[in-house]
Amino acid sequence: MSLLTVENLTVTARVGQGGVARLAPVLRGVGLALDKGEVLGIVGESGAGKSMLGRAIAGYLPPGFSVAGGRVDFNRRNLLAITAEARRAMLGREIAFIPQEPLSALNPVRTVFSQLGEHYTHLGIPRREHRARAIEALAEVQLPDPESLLRRFPHQLSGGMCQRVLIAMAFASRPRLIVADEPTTALDVSVQARILELMAALQRRAGTAVLFITHDLRLAAGICDRLAVLYAGAVVEEGGAASVLSRPLHPYTRALELANPALSARRGLMVLPDHMPGLAALAEATGCRFAPRCPVRSHGCAEREIPLIGDDRRVACQYPERTLGITPSAPAPPHRAGTGEALLSVEGLGRRFRVGGMFRRHGVTALEDASFTLREGEFLGVVGESGSGKSTLARLIVGLDRPTTGRIILAGADVTKGDAAARQIRLANLQMVFQNPSSALNPRRRVGSIVAQALEAAHRPTVEREAVAAELMRAMGLDPALVSRLPAQLSGGQRQRVNIARALAARPRLLVADEIVSGLDVSIQAQLLALLARLRAGGIALVFISHDLAVVRHLCDRVIVMQQGRIVEQGETERVFASPQADYTRELLAAAPPDIGAPAPTRLLAIPPPAG
Amino acid sequence: MSKLLHPRFVIGTSLVLAVLLAAIFAPLLAPYNPAHQDLLATLAPAAWQHGGSVAHLLGTDSLGRDVLSRLIYGARAAMLVAVAAATGAALIGSLLALAGGYLGGWVDWSIGRAVDVWMSFPPVILSLILMTGLGTGLFNVILAIVLVDWTRFCRVLRAEVLVVTHRDHVAAARLLGFSHLRTVLLEVLPAVLPLLFTLFALEMGIAVVVEAILSFVGLGVGANQIAWGQMIADGRQAVFEAPWNLLAPVLAIFATVAGCNLAGDGLRRALDLDTTRA
Ligand SMILES: Nc1ncnc2c1ncn2[C@@H]1O[C@H](COP(=O)(O)OP(=O)(O)OP(=O)(O)O)[C@@H](O)[C@H]1O
Ligand code: SF4
Ligand SMILES: [Mg+2]
Repeated sequence: MSLLTVENLTVTARVGQGGVARLAPVLRGVGLALDKGEVLGIVGESGAGKSMLGRAIAGYLPPGFSVAGGRVDFNRRNLLAITAEARRAMLGREIAFIPQEPLSALNPVRTVFSQLGEHYTHLGIPRREHRARAIEALAEVQLPDPESLLRRFPHQLSGGMCQRVLIAMAFASRPRLIVADEPTTALDVSVQARILELMAALQRRAGTAVLFITHDLRLAAGICDRLAVLYAGAVVEEGGAASVLSRPLHPYTRALELANPALSARRGLMVLPDHMPGLAALAEATGCRFAPRCPVRSHGCAEREIPLIGDDRRVACQYPERTLGITPSAPAPPHRAGTGEALLSVEGLGRRFRVGGMFRRHGVTALEDASFTLREGEFLGVVGESGSGKSTLARLIVGLDRPTTGRIILAGADVTKGDAAARQIRLANLQMVFQNPSSALNPRRRVGSIVAQALEAAHRPTVEREAVAAELMRAMGLDPALVSRLPAQLSGGQRQRVNIARALAARPRLLVADEIVSGLDVSIQAQLLALLARLRAGGIALVFISHDLAVVRHLCDRVIVMQQGRIVEQGETERVFASPQADYTRELLAAAPPDIGAPAPTRLLAIPPPAG
Repeated sequence: MSKLLHPRFVIGTSLVLAVLLAAIFAPLLAPYNPAHQDLLATLAPAAWQHGGSVAHLLGTDSLGRDVLSRLIYGARAAMLVAVAAATGAALIGSLLALAGGYLGGWVDWSIGRAVDVWMSFPPVILSLILMTGLGTGLFNVILAIVLVDWTRFCRVLRAEVLVVTHRDHVAAARLLGFSHLRTVLLEVLPAVLPLLFTLFALEMGIAVVVEAILSFVGLGVGANQIAWGQMIADGRQAVFEAPWNLLAPVLAIFATVAGCNLAGDGLRRALDLDTTRA
């Protein structure tokens, strides 16, 4: 008997404005089973319905969404049929949740202890035991100095520490089921690895079942027993994790796997066209929802409903035997050693910030003694943990900030001072692509006006702006008809393309890109990587900041590794990845999620066996 | 734009518009010359009260002047002060807010300190002191309100400007070659306009109240102008014989202020959602 069974669960959402509201299926006939102590991975891209599954279990659907059919049995009780009160009693006690955004899940104005205490009260633990319990729980999640931590507020902790506190809360009641919705997405790679290990260790020890929701197939591969792949609201493939990964039966699973660049070697990527249908499109769709993007579709795929069939290994595809034959559609980008002229040289660059109020100010060194040279047409990767100074370096290069020490030479001219002359040289040579398109694109400007903003700055006539915008949109693989939209009306991938297009409109020789593929789905990331690889053919140089080592290895010719404001290693990408010299580089490589099929990394943590 | 049809906004703007129209077309709307005294018919009750007549719908005051006509003419001073004072305060406040929030550094610091010092005086006391120094008169009332209330705009808008300035699209505009002025006008200002409109509407309401208070204590628009505050002061003396002498201007002020607040609130909702929702 399974601990959790989901049968034929269908959740619908109301879409469309005005009178013609329609119901779109967000989840369509989802069936899953989770045994005691098992870890089931739910993998899918954003909008596939992963989080909706977790929320349906919690009885926590957003307004406009409702359960249209099916059942969710937990411990032989149908969660969809019990009263809200019974459900509330069960949540937190028998079923616990670990959220995606650790910081926003904690109350900013209350101490860690007061929040843990409230949770203990909910669990019926007497007040006098709270302190001892809390200290024990924090020690269990490997937090140093729990005593002093209890007095702190969430904003005084790092993201990783907050997530540990939430994990401690989730495990406090020894629940039978934990639903973890992207628990590490907001965290650093190295922190992510440690958090996952911690969760896995606690899970094994307590025999908890875990529903692990993630968009990252590589992560799921590491810790799940079984995997279910979700596409457009339906399970398209399900089975034992090892078997799903080594022998995928659904073309989408295979494409997901091939869309991830590998850490161990440069390889071609599978680039799927377009993106997953949105809610409005789902209301209309019939047949195999993946058909428009499927590389091996055939007659009848789009016309017929394709059921999920099989026993232990289930798949919803007419031609599963074709799946293994799918090969990457985009070749690995060529590796070029920079031999051209030096385009950008940075010498002994440093930046100190003064922080604190009027009194008791102190300095924070964000960047120290950074030196490197970038040649024409070269792609340079910058990697390092959060806070290592990557963004500071980018802001100094583009002139949004001034260095406290060192020099910046761009196209043969000294631009360190950032005066009017330096501004002209920067304008002629470089542009920046910002990480977060929702902040980088003015929400009030139409897409066309954003893309042509460089020409607007140069007072070019409107006809020219429109022509250039249309041309760039096409080059970015965007429909030129989108020019009249607002950024909010685009998908995440489209927005990031607009973001890149705007920088390219200025015809820069050097592009500085800060984390422009993080937070995007792998299939969209693969599209953008292919786009950047195409740009390289045009001779542009790139400074590519990323925390994803595999992506950097895939794209960049040379790489800089940063730690605490210093460059600890730099060199040709292949050399650095094959034989890292600095300890920190080795640590980073060890913490990165391993390639699918690679042997599991050695465990860094030993969790003591339960006392008593 | 359907957001503009929200009942709050409709009610609010209708009220403000009604007062505005009454002010503009006062000579056409008022049944009598508001200054005309009829000493044979002083303190006449309102039309629906015992002894009232339709000749004076809201009755007459202690000098026999028609209350309705005075109410309509009083809207002129109220609206003039409201619009002019709100415009002045908005201009000064938002200019300084944009300068401080966008430029940061010592500019922001100095403006912030100035606002702090300014706001440490209670506003009503400050305006009374100003009026005593400036002397009565329409222009001086407007000036006093502007001088007191620009800080309200400055403080609230500056916080918003600061947030917007740190958005990446502002940095991107600079990197693409926009001058500081164009960056502020095209990338920062549009984002704070909804807030500015809201504050403007609220300020109109505040200005109406302040003008009434000043006129009430005799430091307002002056004796030769008809003002609601003045009417309240006069009506106080005969509150039992002719209550509408007092009630009419009080209700007019109340309706105008409520209208401004509702309109401001509705405007903010409408303008905000228009851009962020698909
Ligand atoms: N304006 C600032 N004032 C004070 N400290 C700052 C400022 N900007 C950055 N820092 C500090 O400088 C250090 C480097 O920050 P930076 O943003 O460059 O890191 P990063 O490598 O880009 O990190 P992430 O991967 O999280 O983006 C951090 O300790 C940060 O807190
Ligand atoms: S059913 Fe057809 S279109 Fe759908 S995944 Fe299989 S082969 Fe592709
Ligand atoms: Mg950064």
